[in-house]
Amino acid sequence: MAASRPVRRVRRGAAPIARFLLLGFFLVFVLWPLYWMFNTSVKPSDDYLATPPVWFPAQPTLIHYQAALFTYRGFEGLVNSLIISLSATVLSALLGTTMAYSLARYDTGGKHLSFWVLSQRFLPPIGIVLPVFLIYRQIGFYDTHIGLIIAYTVFTLPVSVWMMFAYFRGMPRSMEEAALVDGCTRWESFWRVAVPLAAPGIVAAAVFAFIACWTEFFFALLLTSRTAFTLPTVFRAFIGFQGAQYGEAAALAIVSLVPSIALGVLAQRHLVRGLTLGAVRG
Amino acid sequence: MNQTAPAMRMSAAGTPPRLSGFANWADRNFKWLLVAPAVLLILALSIYPLVFSLVVSFINYDFQVPGHAFVGLQNFERVVFDPVARWSLLLTAILSGVSVGIEFVLGLAVALAMVKSFPGRGVVMSILIVPLFISPVIVGQAWTLLLQRPFGPTNYILGALLGQDVTIGWLTESPWLYISLIIADVWQWTPFMFVILLAGLTSIPSNLYEAAELDGVGAWQTFWAITVPHLAPMMLLALTFRLLDAIRMFDTIFIMTGGGPGTSTYTASYYLYTVGFTQFHLSQATAGSWLFLIFTALVVTLLVRRLLKVEAS
Repeated sequence: MAASRPVRRVRRGAAPIARFLLLGFFLVFVLWPLYWMFNTSVKPSDDYLATPPVWFPAQPTLIHYQAALFTYRGFEGLVNSLIISLSATVLSALLGTTMAYSLARYDTGGKHLSFWVLSQRFLPPIGIVLPVFLIYRQIGFYDTHIGLIIAYTVFTLPVSVWMMFAYFRGMPRSMEEAALVDGCTRWESFWRVAVPLAAPGIVAAAVFAFIACWTEFFFALLLTSRTAFTLPTVFRAFIGFQGAQYGEAAALAIVSLVPSIALGVLAQRHLVRGLTLGAVRG
Repeated sequence: MNQTAPAMRMSAAGTPPRLSGFANWADRNFKWLLVAPAVLLILALSIYPLVFSLVVSFINYDFQVPGHAFVGLQNFERVVFDPVARWSLLLTAILSGVSVGIEFVLGLAVALAMVKSFPGRGVVMSILIVPLFISPVIVGQAWTLLLQRPFGPTNYILGALLGQDVTIGWLTESPWLYISLIIADVWQWTPFMFVILLAGLTSIPSNLYEAAELDGVGAWQTFWAITVPHLAPMMLLALTFRLLDAIRMFDTIFIMTGGGPGTSTYTASYYLYTVGFTQFHLSQATAGSWLFLIFTALVVTLLVRRLLKVEAS
């Protein structure tokens, strides 16, 4: 939260002009590739190689969006991405919340279990994806939605568990204890009392899980091909630009970054917790 | 029932009577039932594959050679004596080290510039974090559109600024292709450093700075005497998290250079990917990924140990 809350009355060194120059430079650096991509996506193909480059297309067009979505199967990728990311997000939030609750309230497995989950976050995906590929081929999960959903659930679990672990730790336990004293089972005190109270934290954890799935490329590249392919893997079609599909690549990029950016900016007050797995309260 | 630890208090709270046998059992083992699904899933899709890949790395598992004979350390030898493998590990270290270094310095500078309030700060904040929510594939695509000749406008802009023709092959010529990859990484992940360091900066008590100002301490000295020591745990955390992700670098390379020209932009992940998925030497790739895993584990233990020590103190 503090990340978006300015600190007043604090006098820090840097002269104002240097500060604003730096921020201005950095803003341009961040926005420039995004602008150029948007510009490319609405630029008629005839303007591609003009010198000087066309900074503002006089006659913007949507044909590249049409081609990216329907000729290059971007729309199918979009639908697959939605199905897979949403399912994995729900599973990850559900399993992550239950596990985190047990770790936070009952200290299950002590430090070892929670650190074991954390260590999964730092495994290089290449070490996992090769054997998973072989296993998936054997059990028929290769190139299926369910296969990628399970892979993404596992891949986002450490973040979900740790974000929710920190959230439950920061929540007073008196309500749940009162429920237990009143004769609720442990399940009821978890499901009816703790979960509703933790809803904002669960939503935040789910948002970050969704963004992680939505932007993931490596697992999708290696575990899917023609059926369950996700949006990021569609970009393979544009590598090398044999047919110079600059506009199509840019259009698909714009389509795909809108949902994750919108969600991310909406959830930005949880960003610090999301990036540090709850280690920093922000 | 006099336990003092809160966790004990909750597990010991009275079990209501009128429960059937199963419900009673479930209530008693509640904490284990809660962790079971997640743990089983991680075991099935992370630990089991790891064990399986360890087996694969000691046998012949190659789509071009039939049979699964035990071959001892042969797969490991192939990787260790492959000059491309060594180059890719070195390149991984260099690229991630340089990228993370630049991201750290730039992120810290931007965080220092953002710590004081100014009009429009909220909007600037929202814009600066945008790269964090973009797929690395798209980041690679965006920079390809900017840098690739003849489409990208970068050479034209540089030419206009320098007043002479610039014809740099950003994605084909050394050293420019390394610089391009680093720029793309810096673009995406400087906000990561910035967000974490800003959270750290805002939590430093402001009376420290007021005291320093009263004592007439200069800005530079204040930075080294107050900001750096208070920010140290946060710096280490940001660097650790970032470095562990940076050594996986794959997506931007896949899009921007495809590992080329030749093998000059192979990182460890990219090398193992080509060995396993384009040459189909699966057992050699799993052996290599185990070596990489051990290498990563060493870095993790080294960095995370330091991290825990700083957090504890």
